[in-house]
Amino acid sequence: MKKPLRNQEIVWRIEKRRQSEALDALEAGRDVDELGTVTLIQAGVMHQLNLVGGMVWERCDGHRTVEDIVDDLAGEFDVERGVLKNDVEIFINDLLQKGWLTDG
Amino acid sequence: MDERQEILSAPLTFNWTLSYRCNFTCDHCYSRDEVCNELSTADNYRIIDVLAEQQIPFINFGGGEPLLRDDLFDIAGYATQCGLNVSMNSNGWLLDSKVAQRLRDCGFKSVGISIDSPEPTVHDQFRNMPGSFTRATHALDSLADSGLKSTMSSVVSRINYRCFQDLLDLARDHHVTQIYLHNFKCSGRGFKNRENLDLTPEEWQTFYREALATKERISDLIISFDDPVIASLPGYQHQSMVKGSSCGKLSLHLRPNGDITPCGFIPVVVGNILKDDFETIWFESPVLKAMRSKVASGKCASCSVFEDCQGGCTARAFATTGDFNQPDPHCWK
Ligand code: SF4
Ligand code: SF4
Repeated sequence: MKKPLRNQEIVWRIEKRRQSEALDALEAGRDVDELGTVTLIQAGVMHQLNLVGGMVWERCDGHRTVEDIVDDLAGEFDVERGVLKNDVEIFINDLLQKGWLTDG
Repeated sequence: MDERQEILSAPLTFNWTLSYRCNFTCDHCYSRDEVCNELSTADNYRIIDVLAEQQIPFINFGGGEPLLRDDLFDIAGYATQCGLNVSMNSNGWLLDSKVAQRLRDCGFKSVGISIDSPEPTVHDQFRNMPGSFTRATHALDSLADSGLKSTMSSVVSRINYRCFQDLLDLARDHHVTQIYLHNFKCSGRGFKNRENLDLTPEEWQTFYREALATKERISDLIISFDDPVIASLPGYQHQSMVKGSSCGKLSLHLRPNGDITPCGFIPVVVGNILKDDFETIWFESPVLKAMRSKVASGKCASCSVFEDCQGGCTARAFATTGDFNQPDPHCWK
């Protein structure tokens, strides 16, 4: 089973204050899709991931399978597991294609 | 959106002047007249602890000439150990193959060498240092031999804007993969010599059009420039997450005594990294807040690209008018 691993060349950081703001906003029922909570710098270019993307990224440590990541996030978000799994897989496949993740 | 949500939790880069001392006296230098106490090695380690705690990923030593600090290797080594990505800019005079190896061994990720003209005599004259072109190109070769990534930095001015393609060739000849074309800042000696060195707004426009087209066309060399005043030009893509100047939003500058300024070219101290709480400075400084929410003034007020350009380079506007909100003097609109 796939154990996605972050590309070691990418420098990244959790935006702590924004992450807690996003969690508060989510709690209050607001849409947080557009709020970047993880910053990535790849070849001098900056990118941001939103709350869910950032939480997946944090967990792509080469030790957890996609299933493990979904299990982990299912506890954090109030979403049907099948929907969450589908979203996580699409996200991970996209990053694998970009070379930001490898199959650890 | 809440203003705070738009700013990052901390800057991504600290441009760090360990010392204003230099073995050169270049015509465009912003820092020749600066005098400032320098901190001990131990205090610089304490700064690194703060930067690591704030999860600031990049530091870039500039100056002054960083290699004049004997403890540069120790400071860089400690920063690397703490997880920071370390780079620096040097005039290359003191950088031979032994030094290149030491820089690599203590963890530097890349080292930039300043070269302002492809013509050795022009470079030497501009830098007021005979032989400096040869030493600078040797420095690039030593870096390449050591396996450490080298970059080349050129401040665009009247002496080189017509021949910048030759600067690209020079970079290629010395195995450089990235060249920074720095926009001319009217600070320090650059301010005093700006009549002779600065381009007219129209010349800036012509230069940037060609530079953008070249950047688009070539793939063997990364051309980097970070000048918000080009936001109105075709081909300008937003690679930066912020609009306008990045200082105070993505980066800050450290003076040799630990004082923080928004950038090396804006001499306004917003706090001291060893004495003040960093998060209070970053989120609450009135100066940083003013830089992040500029008010369109003068011709910017009716300009269609203000949203992207934000009045251009804040340092240049401030140096020439004393007001962050005035239009960048390089603007051709
Ligand atoms: S531009 Fe750099 S090398 Fe030249 S005098 Fe200033 S600090 Fe020294
Ligand atoms: S007028 Fe102001 S906002 Fe417009 S391009 Fe010039 S500096 Fe930028």
